[in-house]
Amino acid sequence: MNAIIFSALSGVAMMFTGIFTTNKSAIRNVAVIALLGLIIVNLLHSYGIFVVRVNTHSMLQFETFGLFFNTLVFAATLLFVLLSGKDVTNAGTYGAEYFALIFFVLCGVSILTCYNSLLMLFIGIEILSIPLYILTGADKRNLKSNEASLKYFLMGSFSTGILLMGITLVYGITGTFSIEAMRPAVSVGAPNYGILEPVGLLFIFIALLFKVSAAPFHFWTPDVYDGAPTVFTSFMATIVKAAGFVSFIRLFDARAIEMGISWKIILPVIIIATLLIGNITAVFQQSVKRMMAYSSIAQAGFMLFAVYVNNDMSKEGILLYTAAYSIATIGIFAILTRMKDITFDGFNGLAKKHPVLAATNAVFLLSLAGIPLTAGFFAKYYMLAAVVKENGAGALWLVIVAVLFAAVSVYYYFRVIQAMYFKEGEPEITEVSGGFKTALVMLAVLIVLIGTFPSALLNWFYF
Amino acid sequence: MNWIPQLLEIAPAANTADNYLPIAIQLIFAAGFVAFMIAFSAWAGPKRKTSDKLENFTSGIASHGDARQPMAIKYFLVAILFVLFDVEVIFFYPYAINFKELGWEGFFAVLMFVAFFLIGFIYIIKKGALNWED
Repeated sequence: MNAIIFSALSGVAMMFTGIFTTNKSAIRNVAVIALLGLIIVNLLHSYGIFVVRVNTHSMLQFETFGLFFNTLVFAATLLFVLLSGKDVTNAGTYGAEYFALIFFVLCGVSILTCYNSLLMLFIGIEILSIPLYILTGADKRNLKSNEASLKYFLMGSFSTGILLMGITLVYGITGTFSIEAMRPAVSVGAPNYGILEPVGLLFIFIALLFKVSAAPFHFWTPDVYDGAPTVFTSFMATIVKAAGFVSFIRLFDARAIEMGISWKIILPVIIIATLLIGNITAVFQQSVKRMMAYSSIAQAGFMLFAVYVNNDMSKEGILLYTAAYSIATIGIFAILTRMKDITFDGFNGLAKKHPVLAATNAVFLLSLAGIPLTAGFFAKYYMLAAVVKENGAGALWLVIVAVLFAAVSVYYYFRVIQAMYFKEGEPEITEVSGGFKTALVMLAVLIVLIGTFPSALLNWFYF
Repeated sequence: MNWIPQLLEIAPAANTADNYLPIAIQLIFAAGFVAFMIAFSAWAGPKRKTSDKLENFTSGIASHGDARQPMAIKYFLVAILFVLFDVEVIFFYPYAINFKELGWEGFFAVLMFVAFFLIGFIYIIKKGALNWED
């Protein structure tokens, strides 16, 4: 509850900061302080020191997993603001409002990590999405940004319609919005609701698959990620996507049994389709930004394993994956905003001119590809290990397919590294400050640290 | 034909997909009726096309110029803000009905709601969204 209230109030505070000052660095400082406050109040809740008690009529339920995920997401947002706060205020004319919208997105995230009612799922998804439609169109004079915003808005509201239809069907047949009310019923002897409940759940799943950009509902992703200002693409591809997965996991945790055997068939198909489309299409891209959009679809395929199996290991896996993927992607996009030419050729010869940028970028890319000693390796390892732990040798074929696609992803990630280190060229880049470089090095160190001692992050989860 | 009286009976309490059969029949009937009327009038109606009949017109006045003219964004802004606050005010009606039952807790909840929308109101005034003259 702390996080939900504080993030909403921070958003309001940011709105009024925009009225009283137009000083961009002051706006950034207020945002950083509010984010630090947000992390602190969430930690206070996690350790039970100070909790705002509101009677939610059990529509929200706070568990360690959700609270820890909140901390992780807020910390990732803090890193994002520290690294690319300047780009946020420069993305358009309303610097403070962009931060306000980011705080409203975080409010949606903190509802999605603890919802216990389908109504709250709906409200959380909407609070999360609506600010994003605006942020996508932040660059008002840019036609591509406008197109992306409109496209995202239309497709997003349509998928919300499907979500509502699904919720209606589930409510109509079971008579409750609560996802928890279903859990004990299963062991006691679940009532048979007939065909309407699986159909309703399927609608909800389709809407959620849309939000996390899994195939075959991924068509909006490349255009929206490409058209949006690069800073907000970075925010959308990391924090928002991870929150979508957590809401997915919460729902599956409670309701998957209701779907019976069918989702054990549906999900592998979706996972493989997502991996296939994301990876194969990314290979053919010329622009690094568009390649990252397809790579985020491919990474979503891996994150879907946490939905497919639901045990302790997959929960640890999704936390690690969120951390690893968010840090690496935020870093890559931060470098991308500094590049004048965002095609692969634009990176030619970066290592000679800006060794720090090239080296950190290489670490981020290695992590996304899942090379050992980086965080991305253990993230992928935990996901696949969870599948084997749950299903034994029977699911080994799925693991092998996933590893093959991870090998495909190495190709397009390494193309950037190859361009930076082994090709000659004159990369054009806007001025980078010493602080920016320091922040990038810190992110790279963080990735290697998590990649070497993943238990350090996970142990914290159990305290 | 003994299934027709069954349809007219009140549906049993248990919720099964079968109970939706009357609704499905009504849906099919509604769609079929609309399709039939449109097709029938197109087929049976007289067709005498003249150049005057095929022209666009509004209220009998001959149209001239292009409808796509730039319009001041202020109209749109005021309209959207009106809708926003209008919808917020609608929430007072259900509160008025449940005023006594909700007690002090409900009162504070509504107070919070009013506070939030006052904040929004102050924000748009401070931002100058309601200034008609630039």
